[in-house]
Amino acid sequence: MTNTTEPSDRLDVAEEQSVTLEFTRFCELSAVPEGSKRARKINGTMVLVVHTKGKLYAVQNLCSHQDKFLHTGRVRNCRITCPLHGAQFDLATGKATCLPATKPIPTYEVRVVDDWVEVAV
Amino acid sequence: MNIRVKFEKGEARCPDAPSTQEIIARDKVSAPDWVCSESYEFLGDEDISIDRYIDPAFAKKELQTLWKKTWQFACREEHIPEVGDYYVYDLEHYSFIITRVAENDIRAYYNACLHRGTKLRASGTEGCASEFRCPFHGWSWNIDGTSKNVVCDWDFPHVDKKSMCLPQAKVETLGGFVFVNMDENAPTLAEYIGADAMAHINKWKLEDRYIVAHVTKVIPANWKLTMEAFMEAYHVLETHPQVAPSNGDANSQYDTYGEHVNRFISTLGVVSPHLKGRISEQDVLDQFTVGDSSVLQGADRKLQEGETARQRMADMMRGMFEQATNTDLSAVSDSELLDCFSYTVFPNTFLFPGISLPMVYRFRPVKGDHRKCIYEVFFLRPVPKDGERPEPACEVRLEEHQSFTEAEGMDPGFGAILDQDTENLLLEQEGLEASAKPGLTLGNYQEIRIRHFEKTVEKYVYGK
Ligand code: FES
Ligand code: FES
Ligand SMILES: [Fe+2]
Repeated sequence: MTNTTEPSDRLDVAEEQSVTLEFTRFCELSAVPEGSKRARKINGTMVLVVHTKGKLYAVQNLCSHQDKFLHTGRVRNCRITCPLHGAQFDLATGKATCLPATKPIPTYEVRVVDDWVEVAV
Repeated sequence: MNIRVKFEKGEARCPDAPSTQEIIARDKVSAPDWVCSESYEFLGDEDISIDRYIDPAFAKKELQTLWKKTWQFACREEHIPEVGDYYVYDLEHYSFIITRVAENDIRAYYNACLHRGTKLRASGTEGCASEFRCPFHGWSWNIDGTSKNVVCDWDFPHVDKKSMCLPQAKVETLGGFVFVNMDENAPTLAEYIGADAMAHINKWKLEDRYIVAHVTKVIPANWKLTMEAFMEAYHVLETHPQVAPSNGDANSQYDTYGEHVNRFISTLGVVSPHLKGRISEQDVLDQFTVGDSSVLQGADRKLQEGETARQRMADMMRGMFEQATNTDLSAVSDSELLDCFSYTVFPNTFLFPGISLPMVYRFRPVKGDHRKCIYEVFFLRPVPKDGERPEPACEVRLEEHQSFTEAEGMDPGFGAILDQDTENLLLEQEGLEASAKPGLTLGNYQEIRIRHFEKTVEKYVYGK
């Protein structure tokens, strides 16, 4: 796995977002029905889209604790639990809500266009 | 009448007022057996020594005796519906991972890695796991507690993987609650609760309810002092003046069952004996504010000639609760709809099986501080009749300075009552520490639950 938190990568993303958000097609809406989630790498970033309580959320699919995938974690009350050691993240803000994580995970803008889920990464 | 009749100790009841049973007997939809029975017993009238509330050495003893030997409510089954779901329950420095291993197999693992001790899951968390993997060096355990992986096992030839299972506490479920007990020789939960109280609990079907709100706050008083603030209706007149007009406070009923369960029934929608002759039935109806009042918005509150406030409240509540919660309450008695049923299951749980006051309380000492406790309020509503069980509400943690009314999901009127209940507790804790009197004095009837509770505390702590 490549190191996704390379400082130069980060800078690029930040600059792009400050201009206009570039949305990329992530998957068809029917591929993430209510109560499900889907992970994909887009533009070099591991992204997880979660459809819960009638809303779509997009976050980085890597836990900020020890860089493990989040996509098999349980989602409840708009929080995802890391399956490895149990850290939790607020899907809307990316904030770590319990130990062992203390740092947030990135969140991304998400929208639906022509029945496609699009994410700004 | 001013004649003071001589009673045997514990036999006196609020004079010139109907008893709880008499009030309930007049209801239109009659109450079940568990409501219509009494089980009071006089347990002595000596003062209760105060060291148990103020002495850190007593708290240490409690931890080694009482907390290690009793059945404690750890979580609800709804917190862990799927295999691999877990909930971390802490009691002082003890910590357990409560997890579902199979559909009907729930276990409680001591929450510590068998390598160098790291907690496998952080305290105060819940989630879902396919293994319990230690965040330090990565040793891991299967959901069933057997060892899965010892990293670099060539370096641990002295470790027998087969015997490296996560140690467990005892687990039982009742009414949708998961109870744990650290004592390997503990009686079964049914024996512990006793046949009489078990018959009550089994009737309530609390497994068919779900957590609609969960609020936690640290209270600046000893855990027992805090629990005991909820064990009598004697304080209502002074502490909750807004409730008193519609509460049968001084004529509430108190019962004890075996060593670990006690209760009161406090009727609502009736004039308090303290205010008899001073307020009307219409006043009672107008001032009825208790409980989950959100469902009563916009109700017609004008009584007809001869109609009682209590009956109107019961009729209104039945209709409106059914609508608001999508449940069928046609078989539920007026008393169950209206009244406050407060049960204690020793040592950490209060169950309120009523409909308008559907709470569960949990109390635990704060780690290392006998002057503070964690107080949790859960509201349980019946699962909607279409069968779809909602997710249990997230825990809202209030700061010590915050009001209960600020918590999401809390009825504001009820939040104000809890504020009143807890605002006096620091004064009581500090007062006991300042007191020249070595004991608490209790009423024989209205405070019997406190005496009963403290007798059981003594049994565990002193082995009496
Ligand atoms: S990697 Fe997610 S909690 Fe450790
Ligand atoms: S402390 Fe748990 S693996 Fe080392
Ligand atoms: Fe109270």
